[in-house]
Amino acid sequence: MSFLQPWLLWALPIAGLPILIHLINQRRYRTVEWGAMQFLLAANQMSRGFARVRQWLILAMRVLAIAGLLFAISRPLASGWLGLAAGSKTDTTVVLLDCSPSMQRQEAGVSKLDTARRHLADVLSTLSSNRWVLIDSASETPLELEASTDLLESPHATGVSASADLPAMMQSLYDYIKANNPGHTEVWIASDLRESDWQSDSGRWTSLREALLEFPQEVRFHLLNYGDNAANPNSPPNLSVRVTEARRVEVGSDAELLVSVLVTRDAEGPDDLQKISLPIQFEVDGARTQMRVELSGVRFELKDQRIPLAGGAVRGWGRVSLPADINPADDNAYFVFDKPAPRRTVVIADNADTVRPLSLAASIAPDAAACPSDAFAPDALQTLAWEELALVLWTSDIPTGKTADALRAYVDRGGQVMFFPSKEPTSRQFLGVGWEAWQPLARPATPDNWRGDQDLLANTASGASLPVGRWEVSRSCSLAGEFNTLASLPEGKPLLARVPTNAGGVYFLATTVSPSDSTLAADGVVLYVAMQRAIEAGLAVLGDARSQSAGTPLPATGEPWLRRAGDPSPHDEEALSTSYAYRQGVYSSGEKLLAINRPVAEDQTLQAPSEQVQQLFTGLDFDQVDTSPGADSTLVQEVWRIFLGAMMLAMALEAGISLPRVPQQVQAFAPRVGSPRGAPPRALEEVA
Amino acid sequence: MLARLASVPLFARRPMHGNVSGKHRSPHRGSSVEFAEYRKYVPGDDLRRLHWRALARTGRQYVKEFEADTNLRCCFVVDTSGSMRFGSGYEGGLSKIDYARRLAGALGYLAVQQGDAVGLTCVSDTVVTSIPARRNPAHLRHVFDTLEKAKPAGGTRLVPVLHELAETIRQRALVVIVSDFFVQPDELRECFEHFRFRNHDLAAFHLLDQQELEFDFKRPMRFVDLEGGTSILAEPTEIASLYHKALQSYLTAIKQAVLETGVDYHAVQVDEPYDKALMRFLVGRTQRVGVR
Repeated sequence: MSFLQPWLLWALPIAGLPILIHLINQRRYRTVEWGAMQFLLAANQMSRGFARVRQWLILAMRVLAIAGLLFAISRPLASGWLGLAAGSKTDTTVVLLDCSPSMQRQEAGVSKLDTARRHLADVLSTLSSNRWVLIDSASETPLELEASTDLLESPHATGVSASADLPAMMQSLYDYIKANNPGHTEVWIASDLRESDWQSDSGRWTSLREALLEFPQEVRFHLLNYGDNAANPNSPPNLSVRVTEARRVEVGSDAELLVSVLVTRDAEGPDDLQKISLPIQFEVDGARTQMRVELSGVRFELKDQRIPLAGGAVRGWGRVSLPADINPADDNAYFVFDKPAPRRTVVIADNADTVRPLSLAASIAPDAAACPSDAFAPDALQTLAWEELALVLWTSDIPTGKTADALRAYVDRGGQVMFFPSKEPTSRQFLGVGWEAWQPLARPATPDNWRGDQDLLANTASGASLPVGRWEVSRSCSLAGEFNTLASLPEGKPLLARVPTNAGGVYFLATTVSPSDSTLAADGVVLYVAMQRAIEAGLAVLGDARSQSAGTPLPATGEPWLRRAGDPSPHDEEALSTSYAYRQGVYSSGEKLLAINRPVAEDQTLQAPSEQVQQLFTGLDFDQVDTSPGADSTLVQEVWRIFLGAMMLAMALEAGISLPRVPQQVQAFAPRVGSPRGAPPRALEEVA
Repeated sequence: MLARLASVPLFARRPMHGNVSGKHRSPHRGSSVEFAEYRKYVPGDDLRRLHWRALARTGRQYVKEFEADTNLRCCFVVDTSGSMRFGSGYEGGLSKIDYARRLAGALGYLAVQQGDAVGLTCVSDTVVTSIPARRNPAHLRHVFDTLEKAKPAGGTRLVPVLHELAETIRQRALVVIVSDFFVQPDELRECFEHFRFRNHDLAAFHLLDQQELEFDFKRPMRFVDLEGGTSILAEPTEIASLYHKALQSYLTAIKQAVLETGVDYHAVQVDEPYDKALMRFLVGRTQRVGVR
């Protein structure tokens, strides 16, 4: 049992007042000399047992009545798990709201997100707080609300197409608490516990937890779990669509669009893996075509679906749609097309011959497109057209001065650069990371750990991992600075590292392609894939038609971005321009086209195990409740009426028990000589 | 008040022995104005009493018998046990002992006024005082003084004392008991039967206080026994009903006892003016005997 006004419970000893009064009354008896003792003794003896029970019953009822009143005015709550949330005066209530596409899955016509918002609005309107703060998964920026009910109306609390980054949201929470130093803080997290959103393996959790533990004030966490394990298991399967590739090809004098589509079915519910006939609608520049596919497994991939382009259109946009299902957030996928930009790569080296494997790996395109790869000396970069480059491979000493500035500008606009150690590393650094010294190994080592879930060494689309473990490294160069390790040698020595950036990619490979240093060139598959991925990432920012995942900031342009197409906003509201980056659709800015889609991670239905999530909050004041979308029940309910009823019942019982028993009237003892009322008294002589 | 009461004479309900002719019938039949009965003539009877007319009509010999009037010996038995000290003062009521004093005093005065002898016995756990019956007014003063000095104390030994009195009062007498009768009704019945057996005319004034009847206390009380000094703490509201039950049962038994023994019983609440109680008593006796 928990209470909204628990301090009133300090008054509970008042419930003992009837007992005290009774005891005082017992002490405050009057003494009377009595003659008719025989009746008194008889009555006292007869009543002793029952009277005592009755007396205690009356006292108990009085105590219960007062206690009931006190409990009622203390505003008890029905949800036991909420006990920690209620009870003490909250200074700040922070809501971490997962607005990712998976939270838009519906149950009984209501999405998890809407249910969460309603639940939170109900709960928080019950619990008092001086300040309400919303940290939504899209902006990850603390936003103060006027009242808890603003959650139902705030555009920041609506669904978006971007994944949630719970560690980043927690970091934002930490920063907010640190900056504002509030008092007792209650943190409410509403999420469906998707692993892609929670990243429970991330090392950031540990540091965050430790940092939060250091706060002097009380910070309590309440997790509302809207995960599928808490949802209705009989809900129909959800289908999602994604455009894996859209490229324009010219066939003779005509132009066609080759669109590859991936349809995924989540493997839940009784309809699992039943063959279904599915209509897929293609829309290109407003023209719609439809085809029907048979989906018999979990995934269906349609490769290079040919769509003729009217009038040989050079640039444009399109949409692939599925029939609406339980999650409308993944029923559309958007793409843009344009003439592909050249896959231009440049190798910066003191000696171009030593980096031939790099040039080769960069110049062989997977689709036979032109892949020019040039080699430049570090002191001959004045004429380098940075704006045309997809990838820069830097094998000489780290640049300084204007060259370093130019390279930073290239990275800031989304360019990719990969550093290789020079023969004699210096203390120079790029973005805070630099080489230290070569470290020969006693015997060739192979990478024992690498990130297969993302970045350059991520697993293939089929799920197979790259043969990174076949690399043999004879000599590696140690790194200094702050970076994320993508692959490491035994003893944790970094082999491939990525420097965190706002845009673009900066990689450090701790060995070279020289046979004396590694087998990177000999086992060229991994090197080739990594290079092509880097080039793809670099190409994404080249040309006028680009695609990106929701959540990535919109590229900087001279003109504002306009929304050309997209998923309908919740409640049919006009999407705010500030939220374009988080909502999938097609946007244009001048000549530039941009397609924004759900991140690939959103198609992974894996949930973070509850136990693991609890471990993330080890040491913190944390509780979790599983709920389900569409649930009508509120998470918290005041039950003071029950106590008031109990109080009234106790009072009625007390009154009933206290009622003096109808005294057995003593029959008229003595006849009175007198007149009836109102009659004049008779004279004594008359009587005589 | 006494003047008004004096207009109603005090009668005995049974024939009384006496050496002075008075208002009261004597069991000794003789030459008197009041005819009693006929009986067969036996030799030795006074021929003057022979009923000649009957002899003439029937030929049988009957003798007329007359009742002789005599004076009344009135013995007052006043209970002076501790319980008689009780008086709640309800509606200006007296304590039971004060009421008893007034009743006995007034009746004694009336008796002496009409030439009857008055005696007094005060009883608690012993016979506190015993004054033999006499007729002279000076004796009445002695009775009054004794009544005034009577201090209620101790327990009630009314039953053995009454048995004792029933034996010690030799001549037939009007015995007036004034008490709260806090004794066992069965024992009291035996006393009454004893008096009846001894041919005494027994009148009983049963005095109770309004509070003893109502028991209307609202707060916890410590009741101290007026007779034994023991005390009990009680919640009156808890036990009132049972108290009334016990009291009613007792009163019913008392009334049953007086009905069966023919006692001239008068229940009196001490908040009732005592002249009214006396009037009831006197008028009641007048109606039973018949005013001559």
